[in-house]
Amino acid sequence: MSTRRPTSSRAARDRAREAREQAAQRRRERRTLIVVAAALVLVLVGGGILLQAWRTSRSPSAAAVAPSAAVTPIAISNGRPLVFGSADAPVTIRLYEDFHCPHCADFEETYASTLDAAVAAGTVSIHFYPMAFIDQGSAAAANAMACASEAGFGPAYSTGLFANHTLQWSTAQLISLADQITGGATPAGFTACVQQGSHLPWVQSINAAADQAGVQQTPTMFIDDRPVDITTLTVDSLKQKIADAAA
Amino acid sequence: MTSSPTARRGRFARVSPWISTVVRVLLGGVLLAAGGLKVIDPQSSVLAVRAYQLVPDPIATLIGWGLPFAEIAIGLLLVVVALTRIAAIAAAVMMVVFIVSVSSAAARGLSIDCGCFGGGGQVAAGQTAYGAEIARDIGLLLMAVWLVWRPQSRYALEHDLERDDHSDSDTTDLQEDRT
Repeated sequence: MSTRRPTSSRAARDRAREAREQAAQRRRERRTLIVVAAALVLVLVGGGILLQAWRTSRSPSAAAVAPSAAVTPIAISNGRPLVFGSADAPVTIRLYEDFHCPHCADFEETYASTLDAAVAAGTVSIHFYPMAFIDQGSAAAANAMACASEAGFGPAYSTGLFANHTLQWSTAQLISLADQITGGATPAGFTACVQQGSHLPWVQSINAAADQAGVQQTPTMFIDDRPVDITTLTVDSLKQKIADAAA
Repeated sequence: MTSSPTARRGRFARVSPWISTVVRVLLGGVLLAAGGLKVIDPQSSVLAVRAYQLVPDPIATLIGWGLPFAEIAIGLLLVVVALTRIAAIAAAVMMVVFIVSVSSAAARGLSIDCGCFGGGGQVAAGQTAYGAEIARDIGLLLMAVWLVWRPQSRYALEHDLERDDHSDSDTTDLQEDRT
C-alpha cells in the first residue's frame, strides 16, 4: 500500500504523529508485559515456597508398610545398633543411613525387599545405625526410630520414615506415622519417647560409632565387615554377595 | 562486497537474531531443567543450600524452596515469553551468585556438590568438581550476557514488539537519509 512518493508536508506530519502514537502504544504494551511477567514470577516463586512448606510439613502419607509379624522389642544401649533378625544368622550386614538422606531412601526403595527377605529367611541379621548428620529432622527421626524399635514396630517405622523422607519430621509428623503403622494404637510410651527425645543421646552415640568405623557418607553397607560399593550394586549382586557370605 | 563494513554489519544483523534464539532456548532450557530437578525434592534442595554454609538456616530453607521456582520462572520467560533482556539480566545475576558461591565453597575447602541439578550436599573429599561447575556457570553467564547485548531473536512472543522498534529505527534512518 505504500508506494514511495515524495509526500506533502502534511502527510509527513500525519505519519510522524501516527508513528509517535504507535510508539506510545508499544511502550504501554511492553510495560504491561513486563508487569504481568514480574507478577507471574513473584506468584510462581511465592507459591512455590508455600507449596514446599506444605510438602515438608504435611502428614506422612500411608507408606505401603507390610505389618511385620511381631518384631521383638529391642533394648537401646549406647553405641550399639538396632539389630533386626536372628542372632544365629550366618551373615551380618551393617547399615549406616540417615533418614533425611535421599540416596538412603533410594537405597531402601531398591534393596529393602531383598534385605527383608534375607532377614525373614534367617540368613541375615541387620545391624542398623540410624545416623543424624544432615539436620535436626534426621536426629528427631533417628530418635523416633529408636523409640519405635523399643516398642516393637521398628522395621515398619523405618520403611515409613524412608518412604516420606522429604518431610521435615516434626514431633506431630513422627507420631502421625506411628499412628498409621499401629492403626491408631500407638503406645503412650512411644509418644512420650518422641516428645522428650529420650534416645537423642543414643543417636549421638551412633554418630560417634559410625565415625569410629570410618563411615563418611550414607548409605554405607558392610557385609560381614567387608565394605560394599553401593554405586555398582544391583539387586542380583546383593543377593549373590549374601549367598557368598552365607556359604 | 565482502569487505564492506556495512555489508558485514548487515550480515551480522541478520545472523545475530538466530544466534540469540539458540542461546535463549539453551539458557532457558538449562534453567528449566535445573529448576525442575530441584523442585521435586525440597528437602535435598534445602540441604544443598545449607551445605554452602553461607546463609543462616531459615534463609537457606527459603532459598532451597524458592530458588528452583525462580529458575523455572526465568527459564520460562526466556524460552516462551522472551522478555529477553530482563530475563537475561536476571539469569546473569543468578550465574554470578552461583559462581561466587561455588568459588567460595572451593576456597573454604568444603567438600560439596554444587547441587546445581538436584542432589548437592557433602561429597567425599576427592569427589568435588568445582572447576567443571564454575566453567559451566561461566559458559551460561556468557550466554546470558550475549542476550543482554543482543536480545532480539526469533520465535518469541515479544518478537513483534522488538521488530517494530527495529523497523522504526530503520524508517528513521531512511528519513534522515532523505533530508
